[in-house]
Amino acid sequence: MPVTAYILKGVRVVLEYGMLLWLLWFVTRLARAMFREVRQQHEVVKEPEVQRTEAVVTVLEAQEPELQGQRFAFAEEITFGRGAGNDVVIPENFVSHKHATIYQQGNQYVIEDLGSRNSTYVNGEPLQGAAYLQAGDEIRIGMVVFQFER
Amino acid sequence: MKYGKLMWAPLGIVLAGILVLICKKHVMGVQRAAELLQGVDWSFLPWLAAVALLSVFLQYLLVRRQADPLLLPIALTLASIGSVEIGRLKASLFMPQLRWLCVALVVMIFVLRFWRSLQQLLDYPYLLGMACVIILGLPMLFGTEIGGSKNWLVLGPMSVQPSEFGKIIILFFLAAYLSDHQQVLTAAKSRLLVLRLAPLRFIAPLICIWGLAVLMFVVEKDLGSALLFFGIAVLMTYMATGNKSYVFLALSFFGIAAIISYMLFGHVRVRVAIWLNPWSDPNGMAYQVVQSLFAFGTGGVWGTGFGFGHPGFIPEVHTDFIYAAIAEEWGLIGALMVLLCYVLFFWRGVRIALKCRDSRAALLAAGCASLMLLQAFIIVAGVTKFLPLTGITLPFVSYGGSSLVSCFILLGILAALSERRRSRA
Repeated sequence: MPVTAYILKGVRVVLEYGMLLWLLWFVTRLARAMFREVRQQHEVVKEPEVQRTEAVVTVLEAQEPELQGQRFAFAEEITFGRGAGNDVVIPENFVSHKHATIYQQGNQYVIEDLGSRNSTYVNGEPLQGAAYLQAGDEIRIGMVVFQFER
Repeated sequence: MKYGKLMWAPLGIVLAGILVLICKKHVMGVQRAAELLQGVDWSFLPWLAAVALLSVFLQYLLVRRQADPLLLPIALTLASIGSVEIGRLKASLFMPQLRWLCVALVVMIFVLRFWRSLQQLLDYPYLLGMACVIILGLPMLFGTEIGGSKNWLVLGPMSVQPSEFGKIIILFFLAAYLSDHQQVLTAAKSRLLVLRLAPLRFIAPLICIWGLAVLMFVVEKDLGSALLFFGIAVLMTYMATGNKSYVFLALSFFGIAAIISYMLFGHVRVRVAIWLNPWSDPNGMAYQVVQSLFAFGTGGVWGTGFGFGHPGFIPEVHTDFIYAAIAEEWGLIGALMVLLCYVLFFWRGVRIALKCRDSRAALLAAGCASLMLLQAFIIVAGVTKFLPLTGITLPFVSYGGSSLVSCFILLGILAALSERRRSRA
């Protein structure tokens, strides 16, 4: 009977390792499927962000005729204030000489108040220091309301 | 069928396991190959076939409904490892385990089918909370003590562990309550020292849950479920609010409760003493943990081979300590793969949660996923002496009807939440 004994033992060992390897195979397959899905989603999410490197600030409301309906496109930075050196000059008494700035940081845009007297408002809330902007945010400086788009 | 290949793994593991067990009889003294098949109890076969058919049907249903197709294979693989290991440890329990697996799969189909109605439960958080208190309170009043904790209800021929189902209701309650009061809890104004907390009446239900967990622990001696309930309440609160003050409050609450119960109750002191130094009494109180550690050591990297370890020395090896048996016979590799299955399951669950639009659904999905991982962590940590030993089941793997059914209900909830066309009117 030793032949059947050896055969049986062989079958048994193969089956034992087979179970373990089957489990290993399952987990690797599973992990690969899941990682592949995540990678595909990343690619889908990334594409639009890379192409858009320009942002636009549109004037929604303004008393001054020279600002009404204006659109200011910029890539890296745009400054607001009463002083003539700013990209967007707002000739109002409530506006400081150097009032606020929007600049690019990585893929996002940041609005920063440059220590103005009467504060910068984002979506109706007074801005504390700096904040990330999202498309569609409304910015108020003095009496002028802008909309940020990208 | 998408990912259909993955469905072969559980079936293969079960069949290979059964064949190994049959071949093993040769060593036990059966001399001729033809005699091997004699005396094998084939009564499990119809149940095995039923489980296979049901799971194929379920997977087909999930794919057709565009639900997550990877969850069910993970659960089935874990269940197959569990049931085959149970068949090896206690052959008489193999058939009941398959039967329970059948029931659990049918229940999961019902959860998927009636998810719309079940989801409406989320509109009644306080009723859910009360139901939870009643369900968890029942064993305190009418409970029977089985295996050292008084958390069983005996209903005629069956015995049910209500805490297994209570945990699902508590998930629903927490998801509904926390998302309804997210604003109040997040924008907390009142300060207590360094903590930012919402007014007391909004935290009170959470404190009730914590208190309930402690009560379970004290009255029913059910350390595992208490830890699970407490942990899930804290995790869900943190996930909903992102406020660490609640975590701090909960942990201090837990710390005080733990110290008081350590001073008052003998069984808690015993557990801690076993945890700190099991070698002081290896043949008495710490026998279970010590044997489990030996099992881990014996297994090594590749294990002793399925069916050729000696996990029978561990008491309760087929329920709470099944992980020690797996570690002994499947080795470090098998044990790690089981853990990885839980981790991947959790990851999948979190991804489902992030895709949910509704904040209640998102909280519920994240809660289901983290409940499963937390439960696996608590028992694996107990078995490996990382934490004091707490008796709960290893989800999907351990023997037990209540545990299997409740795990598959959780799985059904996750799958239902991952369905793509899930617009709620």
